[in-house]
Amino acid sequence: MQGLKRLLMDAGGIAILTWHTLVAFLRPPIELSPLLYQLDYSGIRSWSITALTAVFTGMVLALQFATGLESYGGSMYTGKLVALGIVRELGPTLTALLVGGRVGSGFAAELGSMVVNEQVDAIRALGADPVKKLVAPRVLACVIALPLLTMLADGVGLFGGLLITMREVGVTPKFFFTQVTDTLGVVDLVHGLGKSVFFGYFVGIIGCFVGLNTTGGTEGVGQSTTKAVVNISITVLVSNYLLTTIFVAFYG
Amino acid sequence: MVEPTDDTTASGVAPPREPLIRFAGVQKRFGEKVIYEDATLDIYPGETITILGGSGTGKSVLIKMLIGLLRADAGSIQAFGKEVTRLGEPGLLEVRTRIAMLFQSGALFDSLTVEQNIKYPLREHRWGTDKEMAARVAEVLEMVGMAGSQKLKPAQLSGGMRKRVGLARAIAIQPEVILYDEPTTGLDPINVRRINGLILSLQAKLGVTSIVVTHDMDSCFTVSDRIAMLHERRIAFVGTADETQQCDIPYVREFVRGGKGTLDQDL
Repeated sequence: MQGLKRLLMDAGGIAILTWHTLVAFLRPPIELSPLLYQLDYSGIRSWSITALTAVFTGMVLALQFATGLESYGGSMYTGKLVALGIVRELGPTLTALLVGGRVGSGFAAELGSMVVNEQVDAIRALGADPVKKLVAPRVLACVIALPLLTMLADGVGLFGGLLITMREVGVTPKFFFTQVTDTLGVVDLVHGLGKSVFFGYFVGIIGCFVGLNTTGGTEGVGQSTTKAVVNISITVLVSNYLLTTIFVAFYG
Repeated sequence: MVEPTDDTTASGVAPPREPLIRFAGVQKRFGEKVIYEDATLDIYPGETITILGGSGTGKSVLIKMLIGLLRADAGSIQAFGKEVTRLGEPGLLEVRTRIAMLFQSGALFDSLTVEQNIKYPLREHRWGTDKEMAARVAEVLEMVGMAGSQKLKPAQLSGGMRKRVGLARAIAIQPEVILYDEPTTGLDPINVRRINGLILSLQAKLGVTSIVVTHDMDSCFTVSDRIAMLHERRIAFVGTADETQQCDIPYVREFVRGGKGTLDQDL
């Protein structure tokens, strides 16, 4: 009961923070340099872990499908399954989990320390809005960066899949490429990238919300960091199922 | 104006003039913990008043409520004739341009240099061109004895220096009231004296009204025109330094005589 109450209160708090973030960002002056800084920090600097994860995910998918389908004589379909698996599911989801762990925890720790050192109060006392200064650029950067990182993950993941499919099934790159383009439609890309926009929002807003609600000194900062990663991961995984359900209902 | 909670205002320090800031019947609680049941205090233009109280009695809460960083649960807080408790963020913004606060740790932004820290409020309030802002930064740093430290990062500064830069940042936009949250806590005696000197000199040079929250008795008697004492969730006593020393309310006497030794539980 207590847990449910806290969950609902957090959800309400996040909804309010989301509204404040939108209003704060659109209220002039629109400040681009903190957004660019965050895009660099959250987006560009996440490319390597994204690519590394994606290439191995593509490789392991190809290996599983190639060997698993062999007994049914279906190894030739490996490319199709890898393409669908990466672009619709694993690309967006794994990227969100990784970036959530890397960036969301960073937001929680940074904002949490600023809260316990009274820096957030100081921003207000100096006549500025902490949501505009701290939350808006971070959330927006995540919403922009995650779809881009997901595209990267899709590309690199397919490349990993290609390498293993060539080795295990013996297809040519051209054959694999044709399979991928035949299988994937615009709908699949929109499906995957659409989800990643939501995931970006979750990573940013939960990281910031948890950070801003830090209490209890340095110990609290540690707890906030952990809480941010756990909450982001759960939200990404649960919302992934819900978003997929909705998407499938509309587009199949 | 007559102080509602004591009968010792006939000292001449607070002649019959309009208070600049009024707390009346302020209540505040955090969850189950009641911080204020009925805080009532008038503060007059140009005076330096110290709010004394043991650790954890919510001294900082009072000044944070004044600039809307925390909200009072009930009661009235007026500043410059405006009811702060009813102001939204835009209204509070104006109050915050007139009332600056020095935070306990200085609360400098770690990622910014000293100069950028002080420019922060100047930018927010559209002080002027970059050149004018740079000149203002140099001017306030000079005032707090930190001239030439523009390019340093907060991590390169000692605790006392951080407080002085925090003070420079607070006075940059020429506030009429300065709130000091535990300005001398955690400092060595030389820095304590330096901060006390700054409080006095800013008051003399700028004619500001100062509200100092502390449990440091030495600092309190050095800088204050009047002293207010917090006890049992209300302002239990208000008076001049002399009146405070001669006061026969047991709690006040204990606090004054015990000084730092017995009641200061902070590290």
